Amino acid sequence: MNKTMNAASLALALGAAMTMAAAPIHAASHGGAMKAETEKCFGVALKGKNDCKAGAGTTCAGTSKMDHQGNAWSMVPKGTCEKTMSKTSPTGNGQLMEFKEKKA
Amino acid sequence: MTARADRLRPIGAVPGQKRRSLPERAGIGLKPEHLQEILDTAPDIGFFEIHAENYMVDGGPFHHYLTRIRERYPLSIHGVGLSIGGEDALDERHLDRLAVLLDRYQPESFSEHLAWSSHGGTFLNDLLPVPYHAATLARVCEHIDRVQDRLKRRMLLENPATYVEFAASTMAEPDFIGEVVRRSGCGLLLDVNNVYVSSINHGRDQRAAVSAMPLAAVGQIHLAGFAEDTDAAGASLLIDSHGAPVAEAVWDLYRYALDRLGPMPTLIERDNDIPPLPVLLAEAQQAERIMKRLSPIASREAVA
Amino acid sequence: MNARQAFAEALLAAEPVCPPGLTTWNGSAPEKRFAVYRNTVTVGLVDALADSFPVTLQLVGEDFFRAMAREFARQTPPRSPVLALYGDGFAEFIEAFPPVAALSYLADLARLELMRVQAWHAADAAAVAAETIVRLLDDAAALPQARFTLHPSVRLLRSRHAVVSLWAAHQSEAPSSSLATIDTASAESALVLRNGLEVEISVIDEAAAIFIELLQQGRAFGLAAGQALDADSRFDLAQTLGLLVRSGALADLTISGSTTS
Repeated sequence: MNKTMNAASLALALGAAMTMAAAPIHAASHGGAMKAETEKCFGVALKGKNDCKAGAGTTCAGTSKMDHQGNAWSMVPKGTCEKTMSKTSPTGNGQLMEFKEKKA
Repeated sequence: MTARADRLRPIGAVPGQKRRSLPERAGIGLKPEHLQEILDTAPDIGFFEIHAENYMVDGGPFHHYLTRIRERYPLSIHGVGLSIGGEDALDERHLDRLAVLLDRYQPESFSEHLAWSSHGGTFLNDLLPVPYHAATLARVCEHIDRVQDRLKRRMLLENPATYVEFAASTMAEPDFIGEVVRRSGCGLLLDVNNVYVSSINHGRDQRAAVSAMPLAAVGQIHLAGFAEDTDAAGASLLIDSHGAPVAEAVWDLYRYALDRLGPMPTLIERDNDIPPLPVLLAEAQQAERIMKRLSPIASREAVA
Repeated sequence: MNARQAFAEALLAAEPVCPPGLTTWNGSAPEKRFAVYRNTVTVGLVDALADSFPVTLQLVGEDFFRAMAREFARQTPPRSPVLALYGDGFAEFIEAFPPVAALSYLADLARLELMRVQAWHAADAAAVAAETIVRLLDDAAALPQARFTLHPSVRLLRSRHAVVSLWAAHQSEAPSSSLATIDTASAESALVLRNGLEVEISVIDEAAAIFIELLQQGRAFGLAAGQALDADSRFDLAQTLGLLVRSGALADLTISGSTTS
């Protein structure tokens, strides 16, 4: 423990990093790296959360803007989690995956 | 110079430095959905208004875009979280944040609400109603004094849209607001939609409600759309949803108000179901057409 | 209890109640009118959470998410009028919420989403100039003691679950097809940062996460690299630095007390 990397190794790595960073981004990723396409990603722009509107109403049932009386304690999650599964496999090492969000 | 113009001149500005006021034009709320389009198309619009709290973050895209838009347009900063009608002391940290924001963007107008939204350190995220009596009057005036002292500028106070009234109230809303304006020296942000919504919700005459307001202190107008509901007795209950175009009845009340005020900076508010930018710009143009139709002489006489 | 306190409590009460002292012009029962306020408070807070945690929402479905978020909002209403960062504690709430106990990855996914929001709003900082770093290479002997200042938006998450893969799968229109191929039980570390106006989320090795974490704590370059290598002999320092430089994550660096910018 408490090892310190020597100056030569640090310089070598830093030099390589600068070369990498200067290259176009898509070429900078190393083998096995992937870049997800997020062109159609939803909710990319965060909204302003403070406003001065009142709720759309109390009797317009069926809209998601209503304060549902559903009790979360007795509900079952029904979303994409139903498609997820857990299996055991060795953890991939040396992977650098990068995902990018679109700006506002 | 008319009496109105005299009273509207911002007070408490840096000595020797005159703060500009909003133009007598229509503006719209600045929504993240429209930021890039506004920069790309540079629409002809009188001003933009933001909700102060949305910009109380350290950095990032919100400030990036607002900085660029502010360089090109007059700006109104509208607070929604100061809780001026609150029983607690004003949140000094929040006032500090406001001071930083106003200093950074130097808006032509700063306004807040006659409402409370925090209690016991909890933020309740709504503009909640206050009873109209001597105790709340004193507290509201004390809070506005503190705001104007801290921010070194006159603020506009917006009349609320309400759904209930209080047995404890002893004053009518316009009288209460008139007294706040008189004691604190603040201006009035006349929300015409709120006057309409509250008048329907409480069985009042909306034109009488406008006339009874301290009109000489008005510095800005808000217009918005409402949602319709009914109360337990089946009577109409309007909700200040900001989710629809301005209703015809509210345009009518706006004309009535302008006849008494003359041209006035007017904001089209939209916070729900945000339409494409051109739709909001068209509503702003409608407000400007109404403003232009006023006879300048008649409107000056109306406030004289 | 005074009238204001009663009003405030009724807004967040689990069951619809109406505070005393309310009147209506037509004598109608005030409950329904008061419900407009209750509705606005709750829906506003739930909307804020839905906006900040969109993948968490997709995973459990909108109905369940909104019911769960309402539960959280009533227990943990905001303490600040600034809602941009509301949601602190939501991950911990999820962790202890029995109806989602089977979704062991959900709390970390919510943590990742909160980091994304925090990164979005974090302070701006320019990246240190490339020439400055290159100049540093001329004085290699001083490198082990160099200290980096990271961009204020940088956040790290070390999870026992494949939360970045899960998050990334939801950035496309049809997440379901790729979801089944993700081993949710495989550990992943995430680097979250804002590069210009964009928030970027990257999967990094745990050793890289250790390295960046140590840099963030102000530890020396040589020590941070050594510790990371110690944790995993396959630690790729060049690759990790390349990612940091490319993402504008290095805001400043200092050598023996002198700052370069």
